[in-house]
Amino acid sequence: MIAIPYLTALTTYFSYGLLFAFGQLRDFFRKFIDWWSSNNLQGYAPICLGLEDFYIRRLYLRIQIKASNQYLIIHSEKASEFEYASGDWDCFGRPISSAPDAWFDVVERFSNDNNKTLTRTTKISRCLNLGSYNYLGFAASDEYCTPRAIESLKRYSPSTCSSRVDGGTTALHNKLEKCVANFIGKPAAIVFGMGYVTNSAILPVLMGKGGLIISDSLNHNSIVNGARGSGATIRVFQHNTPAHLEEVLREQIAEGQPRTHRPWKKIMVIVEGIYSMEGELCKLPEIIAAYTYLDEAHSIGAVGKTGRGVCELLGVDTADVDIMMGTFTKSFGSCGGYIAGSKELIQYLKYTCPAHLYATSISPPAAQQIISSIKVILGEDGTNRGAQKLLRIRENSNFFRSELQKMGFEVLGDNDSPVMPIMLYNPAKIPAFSRECLKQNVAVVTVAFPATPLLLARARICISASHTKEDLVQALEVISRVGDLVGIKYFPAEPNKQEQDESLKKLD
Amino acid sequence: MYVKAVPTTDLNRNTEWFTYPGVWTTYILILFFSWLIVLSLFGCSSGMAWTIVHLAHFLVTYQFFHWKKGTPFADDQGIYNRLTWWEQIDNGKQLTRNRKFLTVVPVVLYLIASHTTDYENPMLFFNTLAVFILVVAKFPNMHKVRIFGINADH
Repeated sequence: MIAIPYLTALTTYFSYGLLFAFGQLRDFFRKFIDWWSSNNLQGYAPICLGLEDFYIRRLYLRIQIKASNQYLIIHSEKASEFEYASGDWDCFGRPISSAPDAWFDVVERFSNDNNKTLTRTTKISRCLNLGSYNYLGFAASDEYCTPRAIESLKRYSPSTCSSRVDGGTTALHNKLEKCVANFIGKPAAIVFGMGYVTNSAILPVLMGKGGLIISDSLNHNSIVNGARGSGATIRVFQHNTPAHLEEVLREQIAEGQPRTHRPWKKIMVIVEGIYSMEGELCKLPEIIAAYTYLDEAHSIGAVGKTGRGVCELLGVDTADVDIMMGTFTKSFGSCGGYIAGSKELIQYLKYTCPAHLYATSISPPAAQQIISSIKVILGEDGTNRGAQKLLRIRENSNFFRSELQKMGFEVLGDNDSPVMPIMLYNPAKIPAFSRECLKQNVAVVTVAFPATPLLLARARICISASHTKEDLVQALEVISRVGDLVGIKYFPAEPNKQEQDESLKKLD
Repeated sequence: MYVKAVPTTDLNRNTEWFTYPGVWTTYILILFFSWLIVLSLFGCSSGMAWTIVHLAHFLVTYQFFHWKKGTPFADDQGIYNRLTWWEQIDNGKQLTRNRKFLTVVPVVLYLIASHTTDYENPMLFFNTLAVFILVVAKFPNMHKVRIFGINADH
């Protein structure tokens, strides 16, 4: 539940209203100017209907460019402290030039035309990485995984150059599927080359016309895309509210299909393990109903005592969840996605799913990386590095979250979740926070509308097992300073324990 | 001081911002401040200022609520391309709290404008015309209706 100060809500709406009004005004004048100047596009239809790209042209770019001016309007008393950087880096799409480990190299860019185009320089700055999904630290070179990945690269070549059914199934792929099924705790699994495609190609196969999909309101775009492509009726329930899910289920079962009112052919509930924009865990024990599809993209490998995901953390039996989906990009340092379920389900998917029949299979070194990282997590490589990593990420997340909350930031997410969004709200604070942090060598990812609701723009921090305590303390100092400058400490800060003891001593 | 922001079930990003707390207050405050600005810029009587605000509000809300169709995003694949903003809010459900609020605002503005100009013509005529068009456009029976094919699709 997000508690937003009322005044902040009003100023945020006002800022967006101003940006929207300016955008409309500029579009209006642009229409006039284009009407006057001739164009040699006779006979060609326009690429976009007039309104479609309005957000990209007028708001997205504008927040990058002009927001620094607007920030001055709103916080004029801090204007003297706010320095304009001469090489204004914008905050979206920064290129990096090293592996996304705990510290990485960000390429500096400069712009000659007020941030419309940015040119890369050869200078790099070494920054603390708080944005990559590197939960267990497998993103950089690992002493067990990398030699084995290189060996499989030499043996099997970088690509199988074929789809799974033609010539793209190697021994590695079979081994990987068994390994994944074993790790998840389900009878069988199937692996695809891309995580997004896993959702958007599986859902049309499982559900069809006459089915009902009930999905959480904050589900990822891949799920929304797959659900829309399936042709089933989609109903949305309020985020993480089992009571509303029950209400929607009862209503839909009673009503039946839209026009004919016949009973539904199949009903499926789709939820995610950890919601990537909220950092919240799903209330899985209360949500299991009908057929359940659990998307564990962010929670597999990162939560749970042995890293087996949200089911282990919440004590849910994996046999209760019918279809478990996940990706390998976050905790395993690879690419691709998987679906785990019963043997009959996987057998069915293998001869109907287009991602299996027509898409190229997952690259062999990537597959080997996944197998090796699962072995490290389970401790089968002979060391206890896996258990150490899991312990470290849990400790790091809890420490960071509690410290941020003590400083007065509004941080979302449950305990134990490595994703923590810090609420920014105002559109002008988004690039301000991002740039100020980058100046002090901390790289954060800021997310705004339309990935989040209009009011609730945030900076999302992903904690990794490869962050040391010193890294986190340094990050906390930087974020605290930048937070004071930008003005995002919406909650009262808790006083330091040391100061409390000193004041007690003074009384004595 | 703090309000709770509950995530909505509306998938249409063009309209879901209207369900969060603070929108109604912002709308009313914008109207009030624009009246103050008109008063200070034109130096007219307060009645004329209210009339100007009312007519400007009519033009702006008609353009954005009832004329412009579709959404400013490309990635919802054009499923709302035939619907105006008014037809999109609350997923097309009629007579919700948001819709009732938005219907009441032009009527209240009309009453203030006509009261402060002492019901004189010609301001009264224009105000009445504006409020008539706006309120009729917001009727539930006018959902997806295009009179004489005005603003219909190709």
